Amino acid sequence: MRGARVALAGGLAAVAVALALVLSHPPAILARPSAIEQVNTILAIVPGAGSGCQAGETLPAHTSAIRLSLESSAGPRVAVTVRAGQTVVAHGESAPGWLGKVVTIPVEPLDRTVPNTTVCFAFTGAEERVYFLGVLAPRRGATRTSVGLLQGRMAIEYLRAGNTSWWSLAHSTARRLGLGRAWAGTWIALLVASLMASSIVLASWLTLRESR
Amino acid sequence: MSRRAQLRRALRGVPSAAWLCALVACLNAVSWSFISPPFEVPDEQAHFAYVEQLARAHRLPSSGSEEYASDELLALDDLEVGRVTFQPEHGTIASRAAQQKLQSDLAGAVTSSQLGVGAAGDAASQPPLYYALEAIPYELGASGGVLDQLALMRLVSALMAGVSALFVFLFLREALPSTPRAWTVAGLGVAFFPMLGFISGAVTPDAMLCAVSAVIFYCLARGFRRGLTPGLAIAIGVLTAVGFLTKLNFLGLAPGVVLGLALLARRASATVGVGAALRMLAPALAIAATPVLVYVLVNLFSHHRTLGISSGVIAATASHSLGGELSYLWQLYLPRLPGMHVDFADISPLRYLWFRGLLGEYGFEDTFFPGWVESVALLPVLAIAALCAREVFKRRRAFRPRVAELGVYFALVLGLLVLIGISSYQWFPAEAAGFPEPRYLLPLAPLFGVALALATRGAGRRWGAVSGVLIVVLFIAHDLFSQLQVIARYYG
Repeated sequence: MRGARVALAGGLAAVAVALALVLSHPPAILARPSAIEQVNTILAIVPGAGSGCQAGETLPAHTSAIRLSLESSAGPRVAVTVRAGQTVVAHGESAPGWLGKVVTIPVEPLDRTVPNTTVCFAFTGAEERVYFLGVLAPRRGATRTSVGLLQGRMAIEYLRAGNTSWWSLAHSTARRLGLGRAWAGTWIALLVASLMASSIVLASWLTLRESR
Repeated sequence: MSRRAQLRRALRGVPSAAWLCALVACLNAVSWSFISPPFEVPDEQAHFAYVEQLARAHRLPSSGSEEYASDELLALDDLEVGRVTFQPEHGTIASRAAQQKLQSDLAGAVTSSQLGVGAAGDAASQPPLYYALEAIPYELGASGGVLDQLALMRLVSALMAGVSALFVFLFLREALPSTPRAWTVAGLGVAFFPMLGFISGAVTPDAMLCAVSAVIFYCLARGFRRGLTPGLAIAIGVLTAVGFLTKLNFLGLAPGVVLGLALLARRASATVGVGAALRMLAPALAIAATPVLVYVLVNLFSHHRTLGISSGVIAATASHSLGGELSYLWQLYLPRLPGMHVDFADISPLRYLWFRGLLGEYGFEDTFFPGWVESVALLPVLAIAALCAREVFKRRRAFRPRVAELGVYFALVLGLLVLIGISSYQWFPAEAAGFPEPRYLLPLAPLFGVALALATRGAGRRWGAVSGVLIVVLFIAHDLFSQLQVIARYYG
């Protein structure tokens, strides 16, 4: 019984410390506002392998990940390379198996902004289709891909670590959690916290009781 | 003894720990119901539309399109669901002005809403029982509008999480009767399992299917431990019918349930005689098959395809090569063998679809943990697997007399996996994994509970209590961080 109590106290303390550490980190934010608000245009559908390059980009300082608008249900590993002229300024690779309309690729951050870059990407899948998403644009600025010149530009976003921790965003996050609800209000965040606290207390008590 | 007295006695026989596990599962699911933004759970829009069609038109949906009733479309529009879904760069609405517009539009829609063409999107082909049940909270919230109705409907799903956890506990009490502590660990593990909370905190028949499956597992385990009785046989038959009426995915579990019933009847024939055993089996099978027969007859008389949407699946399956399909099924769950066609070039479905998905795939399947969490999570998963394997090896002799029972559980697993695989193969190769989602494995939650219970026992007498506590804490942590992940995705 004593062992169970110690394990419970130690375990919950470790969870609390991990929680505090995670919330002390800043969330990833857009390094600059996205030029494309809603990406729904399918510019190309590629079965299996594909690649492409998009010129006229700017790599913002401190970018830690690049988000490409590709869609798949079990996407392949995607490699991205950012070039300024002939110089590679950033490179990264995503994990495979991604799902949805974007794939996020981590890259090594730079201290400076690099203008006039070309972002190239490539992937080698099996037969699953990968959709290239973006917005229609004139041929001059269009993306070149393995299936030819697209009718527009793909949506590319640059992420970096934010300046403030999750702790300092707690109030605005709680306020937003309470919007778009039947019974809207910040109190919903408190309700969620109370529900989880009750569950944890109940489970802890029950676990100890049954450990006897 | 009257039926009421029997029921009272049966309820009194349920340990308080089981009720508490159920309560924890409910609280957790309610919490998830407030965390997941409205309509940001797979197909929730379609499920809501189905209920709306059933409650207002008193008819089943007639279209798989997304031309829902005007009040739902208004809510989807004001909540910017199209902009948020699959695009993690967009969170939910963030301003008071957007909230006021939403409230005012929905208040206006309460009286002026048009029903539409009877569409229920992807849910249109599903059986109606869950939706009929959800029509009650839908009606109760009618004066408040779409969001009130959705919130109340989510609470009904949350109750089903409680049923799931309760019956996982009771299943383990029958299946592993010698270790009461392990029942609680497994019950709480399932109660805090974030995928169960996430799904049961939303409007989706998966919540009910999980609960029905847990009750069936319990009944089968009870039958194998105490023998089949006429009452138990009828209960299994009724539950099978309920399963068929809940979600089409139950088709995958049905062969295992029928096998279980047949084996239990065969075993009973040794004590009560073949005639009496058949008299238990026949009505149970008849009740179980009734919804399928009615469905087939309705389709035949209304000149639809005999098995509805399932006919399409069968036709699609028939048009593919059997070898290709078997190879795909294998690769969907197991490592590819030499000589097999490469169906998943760059990914291991076991790791990237199933492990990652069960670890944390929330929202509209667009909210994941960072990649490093998967590597860290492997440690406790391997520890639980090792303890579980140790216990199985230590008690291997005890499992031998229970081969038939284990075979039934295996058939339930296999049936579900094959169904998921066949359904997914319809879209292959355009979509390698368009259908398989981890939530479809939730009906196997009782076996997940078995793994946790065996791991608790595997730690031995000395460390069993500590191991049980740590497993519960692990699932508390998993649940908390999963909720934070969703909060960060939508509200950060």
